[in-house]
Amino acid sequence: MIKWLRSESFTAWAFMTPGLLLLAVFVFWPIIYSIPLALTDYSVISDTHFVGLDNFEAAFKDRNFLISIWNSLLYVLIVPFLQIFSILMAVLVNSRIPGIKIFRTTYYIPVVTSMVAVALIWSWLLGKNSIVNYLLMQVGLISKDIHWLSDSNLALYVLMFITMWKGLGYYMMLYLAGLQNIPQDLYEAARVDGASRWRLIVHITLPLLRPYVLFCTLISLMSAIRVFDEVYVLTKGGPGTATLTSSLYIFQKGMEQFNFGYASALGLIVGAMIALLSIIVFRFNRKGGVNPY
Amino acid sequence: MNLKDDKMLRSSLPKKESSRIMRSLARILRMTVIYVLLVLLALFLMGPFLWLLSVSLMPGRNIFSTPPAIFPTFIDFDNYVQVWQFMNFPKYMLNTVIITVLGVVLNVVLASLTGYPLAVFRFKGKNLVFTLLIATMIIPSYTAFIVHYLTIQGLHLGNTYLGVVLPGAVSVFNIFLMRQTFIHIPTDVRDSGKMDGASEFRIWWQLVLPLVKPALAVISLLEAMSFWNSFLWPIVILNDTELYPLAAALTYLNGQFAYNFGWIAAGTMISVLPIIILFLFTQRYYMEGLAGAVKG
Repeated sequence: MIKWLRSESFTAWAFMTPGLLLLAVFVFWPIIYSIPLALTDYSVISDTHFVGLDNFEAAFKDRNFLISIWNSLLYVLIVPFLQIFSILMAVLVNSRIPGIKIFRTTYYIPVVTSMVAVALIWSWLLGKNSIVNYLLMQVGLISKDIHWLSDSNLALYVLMFITMWKGLGYYMMLYLAGLQNIPQDLYEAARVDGASRWRLIVHITLPLLRPYVLFCTLISLMSAIRVFDEVYVLTKGGPGTATLTSSLYIFQKGMEQFNFGYASALGLIVGAMIALLSIIVFRFNRKGGVNPY
Repeated sequence: MNLKDDKMLRSSLPKKESSRIMRSLARILRMTVIYVLLVLLALFLMGPFLWLLSVSLMPGRNIFSTPPAIFPTFIDFDNYVQVWQFMNFPKYMLNTVIITVLGVVLNVVLASLTGYPLAVFRFKGKNLVFTLLIATMIIPSYTAFIVHYLTIQGLHLGNTYLGVVLPGAVSVFNIFLMRQTFIHIPTDVRDSGKMDGASEFRIWWQLVLPLVKPALAVISLLEAMSFWNSFLWPIVILNDTELYPLAAALTYLNGQFAYNFGWIAAGTMISVLPIIILFLFTQRYYMEGLAGAVKG
């Protein structure tokens, strides 16, 4: 016993205990506990009963839930655009010219700012009698006011645009790191062999950037499905259900209507979807065949 | 240099000279294109903030003018003075600082404590811990906030800052980042500490941690930003609006005074400035660390 107390094993566990304990409570426990929770009608208001798979059955008949999943899937459409634009931005800010660091910093400011502030700014830029409409009319692109956030055909795309606007700098910085990690002598060697600029991009830059593309695609995919703050601040899911995303719907069921059992079931369904999507992205990249970005 | 001059020069100079001039012209052209693109992008990404700044400095009647005003006709700080007096900003600022500092300290300490053995110790269960950590990344807990809410209430931490901070006090990402950093510390460091009879805890605290300051800085900055900007979880946990952090207070302000545009603009400026300033001063570490985190 005393010997064990002085062993590396004991010290290791002693070091890790506080962290692992918190992880257990706030990361593992929610995953485990939401399963039995989803099988009940647990809510603050009434007694709790075991209801089996009723919540799941109800979920697939719940029109709003299906709409929210569809909206979340539409939101994933921003992933390829976000990646393409941020790679192009990274290439642009990778040039060695005076003042480039100031530009890099500038592009990062939306990332640093809170989503609440960003959402408020855009709600005014796009609101009634708004600057954006005014400028577009001045340029002659539109002839009458567009109701960016209250038009049910537009609102979701406007939110997607704002999400992308805020995220560009973040992914740009990651890709910039990737670009700068490519050893310069690779390019020089290829140039000596007479490779064109295009061949350098296709045969050196893109292959070496791939781990970054995988990483960025995965995290942007997950955050696109998880999107919450901008929707909550700007539209609360409206008009109607036009911008109801799955996390917003689960939040409404859980934290506003205190329907914990049902919300857990919805969460498990969407969680399974996310896991599936990540596996697909991994597969795509491992096979090495098609790389969509 | 305009085109005409260029033609004249070309005809009067020997061939070698003229091709050099062509090349430098091409370079200038390329630079110009790059700068134009950079400025356009800067306007796209910074424009909304500059406009917000402009609105916050406008006197009331400017804000509601038609066509909408982009620049104030004259600058005044009335909006700042009024919203500052009305909102008790120092209080909200202090709340935000408390939440941020608590969150940052817990993250730094817990991530470096947990990551250290995973990097340098040999012990039973190491693989198990690894598997569990990776599992959390693959199986997302999409409804975490529901169970978090129940847990925090169960621990009687509702309406407290500890309740706000604890669910985000440790992250798998930070643990991996620290482990990756500790792996690169030479084994000599630990051995020499052992020779001097130092305990493992002292070796970690006095010998190893000072060597990984850049990684600690990165975690601090990342977490500072996320805690400074958090608003939803604080609203869920805190019943007392007096305890709200800035971002949460801002949504509250927006709900109460949607008509007073200038105030909200000034309030928003006050809430975003501290974190932007922190970022400007620390961006070097932050950028390097962010890069290192992916590379790791």
